[in-house]
Amino acid sequence: MDELLRAAHEAAKQAQACGADEAKAAVVRSRGVDLEWRDGKLEKVQERTRRALSIELYVDGRYGASSTNDLRPEAVGPFIADAVAMTRLLEPDPHRALPDPARYGGRADVDLDLFDPAVNEVSSEERLALCRDLEVMARDGAGDLPVVSVATGVGDGFSQSARVHTNGFEGAREGSSFSFSAMVTVKDVDGRRPMGWDFTYRRHRADLAPAERIARVAREKAAAQLGAGKLATGKYTIAVDSRAVPRLISAFLAPLSGPSLQQRRSLWEGRLGEKVASELLTIYDDPLLPRGLGSALWDGDGFATRRRPLVEQGVLCTYLIDDYYARKMGVEPTGADTHNFEWTLGTDDLEGLVRDVGCGVLIERFLGGNTNQTTGELSFGCAGRVIRDGKLAEPVAEVNLSGNLATLWGRLVAVGNDPNPDSSAACPSCVFEGMQLSGI
Amino acid sequence: MSDDKSLDATMSGFAARAEGEGALDTSGAAGLAYFGRFGVDEAMLRAAFDRALAHGADWAELYFEHNVSHHLGLEDGAVNRAYASVTLGVGVRVVKGDQQGYAYTEELTRDAVTQAAATAALVANGPSRDAPQAFAVQTLPSRYRMRLPFGDVGVAEKMPILSRINELAFAATPELVKVQVGFADSSGVVLVVESTGRMSFDRQPMARLSVSCTAERGGRRESAGANLAGREGFEFFSDARVGKVTDEAVQRTMFLFDATVAPAGTMPVVLAAGSAGILLHEAIGHGMEADFNRKGTSVYSDKLNQRIAPDDITIVDDGTIEAQRGAINVDDEGVVAQRTVLVENGILRTYMHDRISALHYGVEPTGNGRRESFRHAPLPRMRSTYMEAGSRDPEEIVRSVKRGIYAESFTNGQVMIGAGDFTFYIKTGYLIEDGKKTRPIKDTNIIGNGPDVLTKTDMVGNDFAFDDGGWTCGKDGQSVPVSLGMPTVRVSEITVGGVNES
Repeated sequence: MDELLRAAHEAAKQAQACGADEAKAAVVRSRGVDLEWRDGKLEKVQERTRRALSIELYVDGRYGASSTNDLRPEAVGPFIADAVAMTRLLEPDPHRALPDPARYGGRADVDLDLFDPAVNEVSSEERLALCRDLEVMARDGAGDLPVVSVATGVGDGFSQSARVHTNGFEGAREGSSFSFSAMVTVKDVDGRRPMGWDFTYRRHRADLAPAERIARVAREKAAAQLGAGKLATGKYTIAVDSRAVPRLISAFLAPLSGPSLQQRRSLWEGRLGEKVASELLTIYDDPLLPRGLGSALWDGDGFATRRRPLVEQGVLCTYLIDDYYARKMGVEPTGADTHNFEWTLGTDDLEGLVRDVGCGVLIERFLGGNTNQTTGELSFGCAGRVIRDGKLAEPVAEVNLSGNLATLWGRLVAVGNDPNPDSSAACPSCVFEGMQLSGI
Repeated sequence: MSDDKSLDATMSGFAARAEGEGALDTSGAAGLAYFGRFGVDEAMLRAAFDRALAHGADWAELYFEHNVSHHLGLEDGAVNRAYASVTLGVGVRVVKGDQQGYAYTEELTRDAVTQAAATAALVANGPSRDAPQAFAVQTLPSRYRMRLPFGDVGVAEKMPILSRINELAFAATPELVKVQVGFADSSGVVLVVESTGRMSFDRQPMARLSVSCTAERGGRRESAGANLAGREGFEFFSDARVGKVTDEAVQRTMFLFDATVAPAGTMPVVLAAGSAGILLHEAIGHGMEADFNRKGTSVYSDKLNQRIAPDDITIVDDGTIEAQRGAINVDDEGVVAQRTVLVENGILRTYMHDRISALHYGVEPTGNGRRESFRHAPLPRMRSTYMEAGSRDPEEIVRSVKRGIYAESFTNGQVMIGAGDFTFYIKTGYLIEDGKKTRPIKDTNIIGNGPDVLTKTDMVGNDFAFDDGGWTCGKDGQSVPVSLGMPTVRVSEITVGGVNES
């Protein structure tokens, strides 16, 4: 880590020697191994070792950025000199400057515990054995299920990074990650081959979900899609599985960014402090969660991070504006990054939510589609199960959800107690009423 | 939801200008000479293959890559941001049957490359094989245009193009409030060395231009954009293209003010010629990539030589169209890219193959083995996928629809390979009522099932067109540039994800 910091300082110094007034420099290094296994044998083993230098330059009121992975000493010098020369040719931008160093202060003095030394101890035999075991577990209990293929995957790795700004910011950090997954493909009578899959992804090896559960869920999700039919077009109450909710919440949050607002492409413009969603929606962003997948002591501008509300009882609490766009808009920067979400949860698990829905549709996955950030219109493909008499009934596919981001989140009527621990968004399952679904 | 926000390394590039860039020199001497600057020589190749083949692999390959790319951005009237990026490295792949070992290094020293080879070789388990002692170069076709190589063009020459687009856009309508322009160029150089001793050396340029606009009318706001891309040098950015991409971006934006969301439900859909090729890409293209079929996980796995579409439908995946974004001289395994007829008069003729799947099926590889970069093992991927022209007059096709929609421009699509369900997103189009295009529509997703939609594609127009947009296809975490083409077609029924008045 010290070595990376030294390299970042050196690059920033070189940029200034080449004529940059100020500079940011970041150096990253990462390493990882991934195994892919299918139907009784190893399909692919891949080792990844990466490194890169990135610099941002402020030259005569102009701004440019460059990155390279060619770190030979004889290459880095000319790379930086070229980057400075390129920047000098651009048109000036009065809003480009390094952030106010006062905002670097107040960094939390906590150990985020993002690095698990076990990452250096995983053997190839262990990875291989886990791949094999996951397949066995997925096939065990398959009974008459028409399984055509079982694929499993195991990965682990770590990354280290160091960042330096010439007006006093300095930071270095490292983190590890571990994951494994199972995919089960089954053959339906009509020739469709639906796939069910599940995965777990954590900072620490010991926090990974049990392999049995991942294998079982993948198998059950595949089985649940057999015999999928179409849905009648209409308005429905929909429950959305926790694994599918990130699609809806990221679409909701995207128009809060500086570029969206400053470029007048945000439906949330002028809505700060107003009610923009159901009062059941409360999300805090917690950058300081120990072992959190998105945890960080500083953000992309180098600002010290802190826990803060994004939406509280449906009221929009903050925009996500970085230092540059804040200068452009003449407002205070609010920090562009989000880290780990902390939802105000309900009391029911998915089964309970489904029971309360009574009659409707459970959406288990989204497929494609898009949103219009300027107006909020959204249209996503989806698939899942019909809910009848408070229970899951037949599977449905080729369904489409349409509406508006504001309407959708305004019609949130229940939040589950089941946040997904394998994602920094930590979404619980959610229920929305009166949503347009298209089918036949 | 977000990790460390770092410099945008995806768009950019710089430094180490390619010597003699522009001459499409495919001689191996040029290939080794090019990478020789980074320390690559025949002795390194031999040492790497020695290690790669040490444990009984069937074959191995080295993929050297050097890429220099740049991105310039205009925002609020000024070209005031530039991003450059350099990537350099080699990927070593070792193959035994359909098992692969893969490792890469960004350090082109003999030690690092042989270490990567040793790691990749662990996938095999057997007696060693002889490494190639001599290397010979194959002659490649020449499918890119590079009259003005980007290595010879400075930032100052590029900037006026962005400023011109900004002026043209604002001159087009007083209702415009914001314009962003992106200019991207990339000069990739690859050297593929196979364990047979065969080498392929290719310089792969890419030019891309994108424009996005926001306009305001009566307190409402709308945004849209357009982009163009091709494998060309700086000459790509002609006045005609600058005018076209600007017009498209402005017109699409203004169109949205008069448009509403489409109705919901199943109805006939007419797809306009050109970018509607996204239907093929999603509905059948991915399902015909041979890896999914080899594994039995595609909805097309048992359909070879069967009828999957009406008689007048012929679908091609083609790497040979000059200067197209999806064109390649050679794929990333050293196979010269071809024109591959996937569906001929409605019959499924072949899948798209890489070397591993071709060996599995006992056929020749089709030149579809592609990868995002040296950091990835190749996979069967599309190049330029299109449907050949049929015989119908496009106006007749619209007239044939009592009530449905006409889909004109698209932004994105997705597919689940096994189930066959796919979607694509319509940015602009029209309602069709009694055979006429009437109310403008926007922002509507379409969802269907691949094999089902193919059989329902019942009218094919005589107005074939390629789309020259900057399409990028993602699979297994790898992005590759692709192209699309399509005549006007009618799908007799498909689910339109609109909204019905309650």
